[in-house]
Amino acid sequence: MVDLKKLRESTEKIINRDDVKYVIGWEKGTHGFQVTPLFITSSDDVERLIFNPLCVHNLTVFLMLQEKLPLRKGAEEDKRKVGVIVKGCDSRAIVQIIQEKGLNRDDVVIIGIPCTGVIDPKKINKKFPNQTKTVDIDEDANNFVIKIDGKTHKVPKEELLMDKCKQCQFPNPIIYDVLVGSEIKTTGKPNYKDVESFEKKSLKEKWEYWEKQFEKCIRCYACRNVCPMCYCKECMVDQLNPQWIRRSVNVSENTAWNIMRAFHLAGRCIDCGECERVCPAEIPLVKLNKKLEKEVLELFDYRAGLDVDVKPLLSMFKPDDPEEFIL
Amino acid sequence: METLTLEKNKLPQLIKKIQSRYTVLAPTKCDNITLFKPINDYKEINLDFLNSKVSPKSILFCQTETLFKFKQGISAEVKSVDFPNSKNVIFGIRPCDAKSFSIVDFVFKDDFVDPYYMNKRENTVLIGLSCIKPGVNCFCTSMNGGPAFAEDVDILLTDIGDKYYVEIKTSKGNEVVKTSKDLFSKASSSDKNKKQEISEKVEKAITRNMNTKGIVEKLDKIFEDPIWKNISLKCLGCGICTYQCPTCHCFDIQDETTLSDGARVRVWDTCMNPEYTVHASGHNPRPARMNRTRNRVYHKFNYYPKNYNIIACVGCGRCINDCPVNIDIIDIIDQAREVKA
Repeated sequence: MVDLKKLRESTEKIINRDDVKYVIGWEKGTHGFQVTPLFITSSDDVERLIFNPLCVHNLTVFLMLQEKLPLRKGAEEDKRKVGVIVKGCDSRAIVQIIQEKGLNRDDVVIIGIPCTGVIDPKKINKKFPNQTKTVDIDEDANNFVIKIDGKTHKVPKEELLMDKCKQCQFPNPIIYDVLVGSEIKTTGKPNYKDVESFEKKSLKEKWEYWEKQFEKCIRCYACRNVCPMCYCKECMVDQLNPQWIRRSVNVSENTAWNIMRAFHLAGRCIDCGECERVCPAEIPLVKLNKKLEKEVLELFDYRAGLDVDVKPLLSMFKPDDPEEFIL
Repeated sequence: METLTLEKNKLPQLIKKIQSRYTVLAPTKCDNITLFKPINDYKEINLDFLNSKVSPKSILFCQTETLFKFKQGISAEVKSVDFPNSKNVIFGIRPCDAKSFSIVDFVFKDDFVDPYYMNKRENTVLIGLSCIKPGVNCFCTSMNGGPAFAEDVDILLTDIGDKYYVEIKTSKGNEVVKTSKDLFSKASSSDKNKKQEISEKVEKAITRNMNTKGIVEKLDKIFEDPIWKNISLKCLGCGICTYQCPTCHCFDIQDETTLSDGARVRVWDTCMNPEYTVHASGHNPRPARMNRTRNRVYHKFNYYPKNYNIIACVGCGRCINDCPVNIDIIDIIDQAREVKA
């Protein structure tokens, strides 16, 4: 668990700098287990900042969502840096975007938090349904300590953790300017058990499975908008000339959308799981991302977002590439 | 009109009887979410639900609607689509969602009667099911509704223990059950009291509320206030709030063609999408996310009440439940009320 006092101190120092316009963190949400992104624009806001195992959001998406609107005559562009608080997995998004030259390292100030895992909102809402009042959460080594209406519940972490956290290899931020807390030792290994067992299914079974999933898609594009890696100026799904994917919502077009989305993340997805978390149709999108991550690892021995100095997978060429797939 | 009761074990029989003359759409479990779907068998119905994930507006105002088809080239022709004659029953619709139809009706039959929506609307009977367990973010009681509110349905069923208290509100509703009257019994005054009791109990269980007094006038004064910028900072710009909303009714029209054939289709659109307001010239009158987040609030709580004298929100709580970043419409209205103007 992160020392909140230290986190707030570090944040305050950064927001008081003249070259920082805001720092993005988390604050308590409006109800139950909700936690919500907080934009700290002055030191007055710092007391609202929190960090606890409910802070699932990957805030790096807001770096890419910054708007560059046309300026009024005589107005000057605000070139100040943006501060962002990141967990281990979140930090990989920044690394990958820097690798892709989507972001300038100098434009961000990164506060890193070694993370011991976050709670899956679906799991906790199922376990403790109908929480209106905001709830306090703490943790010890093996349990989440949840206080509801004066009663304390100790729940084993295993039960509530996001699935991605159970096999996390990168609890410590890869890139940061300030690290709050001490680094965590990890034994996590890439685990593709889910993908492997799914791969064993017959083509027909797989198709039926995904058809059922994509049928539910309402094309709200929350999966895209919440994804820090989805920062194209114009998304291919929005293009009209040529129109790659029709606006009609049906299994065929939905499938095209979901597959295209996953493929555009091949070698880029950093496994924060945000797409699956936000999907209102509860489509298991991480399963698709994981499959591509596995392929990329096996074929090219590449993992996204680990080193700012490495070229991104799809823009590098190696003369000694076996190229077994080319006849 | 008429009040009856129905033993719970007779419900499958009733549905079967209705199915002989109507297509029945009911809440069904699709994987891990509940959606309204046409059913073949009573067993497909899942009545242990809070509310459907996507609102049943999708039945009358389809996410994809073919307006007409056409052939291109020398033998170009336009083919209109047939309106199905089939009659539908939406079984198990919640009072809040039923209310949403009464609200969007104004749009679809105002200066131009939309045949696609109205045809379905006229051929659809709403059999409502009162809520017994409200959700965390339900606030229908703040929006002139309630968990057992019967004004917008044709028939309302309320679970009063071992049977349903049945209120037949319209002749459309009466038509549905006229061939199965033998399944029902007359409601006694104790049944009526029971319904009253339950409905009051559930109303008390609703903990969130929205104060909308004077909101229309207030919003008129704070259009340029910085709160809209602050609220929009964390908005991702996805379409969840508008697509899940039972009263959001905006659409886009597209021609989808192959070399020879084509169809003009209408699909849901969302004011959260920058493209929504882009002019042919390329100019966008709502260029910033702030303009768009503000628009959702103003459309529901200012423009709509000005046009039709009713707030375009039913308090179903879907936008609050599903927002990835906890943008909370109750909180927004609270914040708006607090602005000094």
